[in-house]
Amino acid sequence: MRAIELACSYIQINSNPVAAEATILSLHQSPQPYKACRYILENSQVANARFQAAAAIREAAIREWSFLATDDKGGLINFCLGYVMQHANSSEGYVLSKVSSVAAQLMKRGWLEFTPAEKEVFFYQINQAILGSRGLDVQFIGVNFLESLVSEFSPSTSSAMGLPREFHENCRKSLEQNFLKTFYQWAQDAALSVTNKIIESHSSVPEVKVCNATLRLMHQILNWEFRYSKGGTRASINVFSDGIRPDNAFSRKTECVIVQPGASWCDVLLSSSHVGWLINLYSSVRQKFDLEGYWLDCPVAVSARKLIVQLCSLAGEISPSDNGQMQEQHLLLLLSGVLPWIDPPDVISKEIEEGRSGSEMIDGCRALLSIGTVTTPVVFDKLLRSLRPFGTLTLLSMLMGEVVKVLMANSTDEETWSYEARDILLDTWTTLLASMDGSGGNARLPPEGMHAAASLFSLIVESELKAMDERLGSYALIARAAVDATIPFLAKLFSDHVARLHQGRGTVDPTETLEEVYSLLLIIGHVLADEGEGETALVPDALQSHFVDVVEANNHPVVVLSSSIIKFAEQCLDAEMRSSIFSPRLMEAVIWFLARWSFTYLMLVEDCNLGSNQLQSLRSRACLFTFFNEHNQGKFVLDIIVRISLTSLMSYPGEKDLQELTCFQLLHALVRRRNICFHLLSLDSWRNLANAFANDKTLFLLNSVSQRSLAQTLVLSAYGMRSSDASNQYVKDLMAHMTSSLVDLSNNSDLKNLAQQPDIIMLVSCVLERLRGAASATEPRTQRAIYEMGLSVMNPVLRLLEVYKHESAVIYLLLKFVVDWVDGQLSYLEAHETAVVINFCMSLLQIYSSHNIGKISLSLSSTLLNEAKTEKYKDLRALLQLLSHLCSKDMVDFSSDSIETQSTNISQVVYFGLHIITPLITLELLKYPKLCFDYFSLISHMLEVYPETLAQLNNDAFSHVVTTVDFGLHQQDVDIVTMCLRALKALASYHYKEKNTGNSGLGSHAAGHTDPNGVFHEGILSRFLRTLLHFLLFEDYSTDLVSTAADALFPLILCEPNLYQGLGNELIEKQANPNFKTRLANALQVLTTSNQLSSSLDRLNYPRFRKNLNNFLVEVRGFLKTR
Amino acid sequence: MSDEEHHFESSESGASKTYPQQAGNIRKGGHIVIKNRPCKVVEVSTSKTGKHGHAKCHFVAIDIFTAKKLEDIVPSSHNCDVPHVNRVDYQLIDITEDGFVSLLTDSGGTKDDLKLPTDDALTAQMRSGFDEGKDVVVSVMSSMGEEQICAVKEVGGGK
Repeated sequence: MRAIELACSYIQINSNPVAAEATILSLHQSPQPYKACRYILENSQVANARFQAAAAIREAAIREWSFLATDDKGGLINFCLGYVMQHANSSEGYVLSKVSSVAAQLMKRGWLEFTPAEKEVFFYQINQAILGSRGLDVQFIGVNFLESLVSEFSPSTSSAMGLPREFHENCRKSLEQNFLKTFYQWAQDAALSVTNKIIESHSSVPEVKVCNATLRLMHQILNWEFRYSKGGTRASINVFSDGIRPDNAFSRKTECVIVQPGASWCDVLLSSSHVGWLINLYSSVRQKFDLEGYWLDCPVAVSARKLIVQLCSLAGEISPSDNGQMQEQHLLLLLSGVLPWIDPPDVISKEIEEGRSGSEMIDGCRALLSIGTVTTPVVFDKLLRSLRPFGTLTLLSMLMGEVVKVLMANSTDEETWSYEARDILLDTWTTLLASMDGSGGNARLPPEGMHAAASLFSLIVESELKAMDERLGSYALIARAAVDATIPFLAKLFSDHVARLHQGRGTVDPTETLEEVYSLLLIIGHVLADEGEGETALVPDALQSHFVDVVEANNHPVVVLSSSIIKFAEQCLDAEMRSSIFSPRLMEAVIWFLARWSFTYLMLVEDCNLGSNQLQSLRSRACLFTFFNEHNQGKFVLDIIVRISLTSLMSYPGEKDLQELTCFQLLHALVRRRNICFHLLSLDSWRNLANAFANDKTLFLLNSVSQRSLAQTLVLSAYGMRSSDASNQYVKDLMAHMTSSLVDLSNNSDLKNLAQQPDIIMLVSCVLERLRGAASATEPRTQRAIYEMGLSVMNPVLRLLEVYKHESAVIYLLLKFVVDWVDGQLSYLEAHETAVVINFCMSLLQIYSSHNIGKISLSLSSTLLNEAKTEKYKDLRALLQLLSHLCSKDMVDFSSDSIETQSTNISQVVYFGLHIITPLITLELLKYPKLCFDYFSLISHMLEVYPETLAQLNNDAFSHVVTTVDFGLHQQDVDIVTMCLRALKALASYHYKEKNTGNSGLGSHAAGHTDPNGVFHEGILSRFLRTLLHFLLFEDYSTDLVSTAADALFPLILCEPNLYQGLGNELIEKQANPNFKTRLANALQVLTTSNQLSSSLDRLNYPRFRKNLNNFLVEVRGFLKTR
Repeated sequence: MSDEEHHFESSESGASKTYPQQAGNIRKGGHIVIKNRPCKVVEVSTSKTGKHGHAKCHFVAIDIFTAKKLEDIVPSSHNCDVPHVNRVDYQLIDITEDGFVSLLTDSGGTKDDLKLPTDDALTAQMRSGFDEGKDVVVSVMSSMGEEQICAVKEVGGGK
């Protein structure tokens, strides 16, 4: 004991820590240290030593558990419990909580062995303690013990014991089903027993500590991830990964976790007076805040508030099926308790600004959020009506309005209470409104709620115009809840601001107004249209269904608003206006708005953008839909938009963001719609754009990505030509200039010197980007023209590859162009054309690799070295993509030749290509996820389709491929592992089938060989069988992988039956527990025999084996994987 | 569609060492002149100065000869100087004792004014390749009047 005490004090004063640690460690590791530890615990004066002794007991007991006699097990727990209760009033709290957590852990360790009677004895003690018969301190300790017990049983907080997952799961299940509710009731009783004292006394009393502990315990119990209450649907263990808590689909982005205990909890939580008691308690604590020992953030107040908020999010089967009446009452009760925290908002916010803590108010907001999450907007609004003359939505609006005002008043960058409150309240709105949005559209807020939303929105707009933030989407949701008021409001605001801009032109500094117009454009864009990312954006339902009394399009508020913005945007065409008003930033907003707006409203095709059916008959809706179509204003607006885009490209040199917006969002969105293409081609403005693109120097100065996108856009618009010939001619005219300039350059006799000049480099890069853009826009109608375009630059490309071998940026562009071109063209090409393309690709590969194999570059700085690596990586990725595209010719082929006339064998070509680039790919490079992905998709495709060619590879190349597959199996990415498994399946099944027909299959690769030093190297299939089994049994992976893994494992087992037997036996031998031994043996047996599995690789057997493997894993992983 | 033709005459005969290019167009990996030194750009960021002002480009670049880091901020619509960077391959014919190399030019003459590079790995590679009698090709980078050996490659042909 002396030694331990000494060691502990040494550690504390940090003298000779190594020796001290060794002493303590030896105690932890010594066998049967229980007596010594007990002695230390009971007699030592040094708290630290007692702490260490407790830790030693835990460690030794967990380690030696199976050797301990049953009496000893119970004895240890009893000792710990007895110890904490005896010393309940000791001042060293950490020792006590350590000892009680040791007791909890031991309790869990023995949980499944103890008989109910034994448990009864333990819990009788605890219950007595909690009921308070042995004094307050003991009561506190009892509650504390339960807290550590519950956290020990909850999977995410349990401590490791080196036991199978199944064990943890069983403990958890047993606790949840048999004890959790009892614990909660005990906590309730304990809290009740001290409540009166707290309420009656006028200063801090020791009871508060107990009360706080019980509140914490209740909070923790409600945080339990309830599982077994829901009819046992999810009762199986997730054996595949250690996932903490699967993201609740319910909780969305909010921090609000829904509490869903089962129906059996109803009596405890709902029908008893539990909530009433809690609210009572808090309100009485609240009155004491000015007394000594209490304050707004004192522990007991905080815990009580937490529990209240948590009870607000109670949902699920707990409420009986009485149309939600019980739940409503429950929420109403809670709301009435929460109300004083947040109502009246102005008074509260004033108090907080004067120095009161904001935490109570924020908790109030959280409670609202929780209530909003578990109810519908209508119910939510109704709740408050029995207490106040207005609905909850109005309160919400007032509260948030108040918060926004405070935010406006002190616009510091600090994160204050108002920020937090604003975010929570905004989440509440989003939760309420989004649930309504998805329900079919016609649901509306009650009129008062709409009014509340409208007034809140105008307040938000007012405050946020100075600096818009990223919450625009949520704000727009609020605006759409009350479009009748907000759209006209926005229209008026916009015209006011534009008028102000014009008035002050030349005299007043416009920056502030500009910023406001900028923000207005953004918010209007969000309100009017949804983001159409990847799908056709519909006119929002709210805008379709409202404004029923409007019959004339000119009066439709949405039309009015849109027209006024377009009119404003048109003014940027005037050079003078441009320089005085349209700053680059404002232009960005204009372009962004036009893109978003035109995608939703411009030239709608009837029947295509129709929303829900019941709206179709509305007159006002028809107005809105036809006003901007091709027979009405559509063409006129389209013309304006094209002219505006040309202006933004030509007149704002160097504004990268603006130009990217124009190219990617606006123009791209236009040509994606076929009917718009027809009109575009008839516009003079579009012709001007095409002309400028081909000839104007300014457009050569655009950013490279913008150039590419512009070329793509223009080529895509060729679809609008009446015939395929015309389309081809259009593309030819458009691109002729670029191709001829490349050809000229490459024919120049002084190419070598000329090419190195920066202006030429830039020109070449530009042209290549444009060609690439055009190539990526290949469509059946324009395919010929683009094929010829590529054909004419083939030789120049090869020459440039030679010349620019040091200029990695250009090389990359060259490769990318070829990749995109091949990708677009290959499937259309006839046999002789294919041959040309493939030869071209081969020479490209050869030239590239001749420049890059065996080269060492000097780099003085590591940054440049990294740069060089990145460049290499990008090149290789492009080459891999090229090979993959070449592969696709075998799969997708639109050419007119029949299959038999295929003159070139693609697999040969691609293998040759692989030969060339595999030396360049290192395992180091495979750590780049994208490269890794491309590489393995190529490999798995190759192996699946042409396994025979792999067998012909030489040893080096073969082992390289195999090493990388092995590497890929251990990647984190599910896709990559899947591809590797598919590759394995292909390899093994090929070998097996070949063997069966008497061929050699993979030959020496599979058989294994003895190297000159006499060491035997096993064949690759055996190696993979070993790896795969280990992977399946012991590692973490996603369930999605199981069936692919089964497909790979099955042929592997068939190929190497002897090794498989051996591995199985080894596995069984390793199990110490005889019960597990038999289970494992049976499972292995069942795996290969059940479901009429036979030893042939046909389609029937694969799914059978998948099923078998799945069952097998569920059966054995529970005890093979330990924690 | 186009009447205008591009001609690729070399406009310079060593007179201009740089070429003007819009700052917004200089990309990562490209070259730029900062403080009269030829550099390779390793980082470009565009920033918006003031709410409604013009965009500016911030370049971080590394001197291609000395590996010193340099930075510059230029409005994106203005022009920057871009250095001509030339790389020529020569065959190595000799390494002299005082650390100079002798290179064979395309026209058959020799070029003897270059020192061995300061980078040890590169020098070692050159020496070992040369000693083993392999054909060693070195790349010489030149820009704004400076020259340096920057890469080496063995073409094989060892005995």
